Amino acid sequence: MTVPLIGGVEWLHECYPEQDGHLHVSVYLVHAAEGDILVDSGSFYHRDGLSRRISAATGGAGPASLILSHSDYPHSGNIPSFRDEWGDFEIVASCASPEIQGLPYARRARIGETLEIRGRRFTFLDPPLADRSHTTWIFDEESRVLFVADGFGTLHPPGTCDRLWGDLPVEGRREGVREFHAQTLRWLEYVDPARLMSALRDIFDRHPAAAVAPIHGPPIVGGHLEEYLDQLEWAVRRIAAGDAPGN
Amino acid sequence: MATHREFSPGIHWIQECGPDRKGIADSVRASGGTWCTPGLELHVPQNAYLLAGDRTLLFDTLSPASGDLILAALEEILGERGLDFLAISHPDVPHAANTGRILRRWPGARLVAPRVGETHALYHLDDALHVGPEDEIDLGGLVARFPEATFLDAALHTWMSEETTRTLFTVDWLGFPHMEGECLKCVDELPTDIEASRLEAFHSRVMFWFQYVDVQKVVATTNRLARSFEGYALAPAHGLPIREAPERFFEMMNEVVDSVSASGRTGVL
Repeated sequence: MTVPLIGGVEWLHECYPEQDGHLHVSVYLVHAAEGDILVDSGSFYHRDGLSRRISAATGGAGPASLILSHSDYPHSGNIPSFRDEWGDFEIVASCASPEIQGLPYARRARIGETLEIRGRRFTFLDPPLADRSHTTWIFDEESRVLFVADGFGTLHPPGTCDRLWGDLPVEGRREGVREFHAQTLRWLEYVDPARLMSALRDIFDRHPAAAVAPIHGPPIVGGHLEEYLDQLEWAVRRIAAGDAPGN
Repeated sequence: MATHREFSPGIHWIQECGPDRKGIADSVRASGGTWCTPGLELHVPQNAYLLAGDRTLLFDTLSPASGDLILAALEEILGERGLDFLAISHPDVPHAANTGRILRRWPGARLVAPRVGETHALYHLDDALHVGPEDEIDLGGLVARFPEATFLDAALHTWMSEETTRTLFTVDWLGFPHMEGECLKCVDELPTDIEASRLEAFHSRVMFWFQYVDVQKVVATTNRLARSFEGYALAPAHGLPIREAPERFFEMMNEVVDSVSASGRTGVL
């Protein structure tokens, strides 16, 4: 499905079924002044569907640029095939050693800096919720959408795959937040919840987001962000207390 | 230049040093790291380990920049022998990127992957032999086990131990840079001791999440690991093998987490 968000940003989502719910493995498309920008490439597991949907959303031209949150395969796995399909479009990535991550052709984005990409300004942020060292969060200064890679995910029930986070059934929603973070960011078992939540809230103070766009969950728009943060804090406290799936 | 050696009976170490990390070297020297000698390259390596008993098992595959390197090293080490198992610690690009090339060269090798989690199909690991802490692979003369990856990045992850030589492969934990001239040497062969600041140069970048942890919880877990694997040699994926006095490294890691927790991350790898 392709779901328009705000400010020329579209959510292109695919789902991966798990025992306790569905896991989104999404990409986002930003319609910038000088070309379409893909945020992440999705998984090769969903290659054909994503390819068709990106083609339809870009008038067959494909992306002009791709900003990569990090090189984990469900985020980067389609880069070679998409470049075969649409030509050697620009790749922007944050890793310090692109050749070691298989991206020798990437334009480097340094965490903390703002880059203009296809006429649009993006700021690259140090992500408190991540697994890989070189992950970056990406703040679109025009739409104020914050792309958050592996953070802010939610497992969702089958049949709700195209709903925004605020439209998911309330029952079980915070469990979906907990299960996602417990299974994906396993270091949270060691976390000091107060320190983590302070770092997250500081990011939103400095970069007021109109929407948060995770790869592994539905987007969280506007007024629902505070509610999500409250549920995330509940989830993190549960995980830190040893109340994670499997424990 | 050699890229591999047998550092323990039956355990072959294949090293990819990677590019000179000038940025990390500048940062280390600015913070007073005397081990970082001016004028020498600083390397943050990738390691793969080949266990050669009656049967053979390769643990990790190096980065995509070193596909030719690992294939050539395996040809030299294996000779006429086959590769029986290819085990992936976690499907991270610098660890797993050459899986396809190696399996095409040795199509009889059985792919082995961590059991934990449900996302194997997102990594082409759904058909692999899935292993966890309860499993072992008897190679004939060497025995591989797969303890939980206690400190890790990606969730789909395993550590490995070899029980005959008592060696623990800690993947992304216990990494540290080495200087030009130290390539393919074990820690006990260096002229100076490894200091905690070397371990911090790595972990303050890779395990950036140390800045958000409850330090006492991490220290307690590290101390439990030290007891569980007392006397084991340590073989990280991004450092030099530690054959002597491994207990000192557990102690230094407690200093590292305390320091990163207080000072924050120092950069990106």
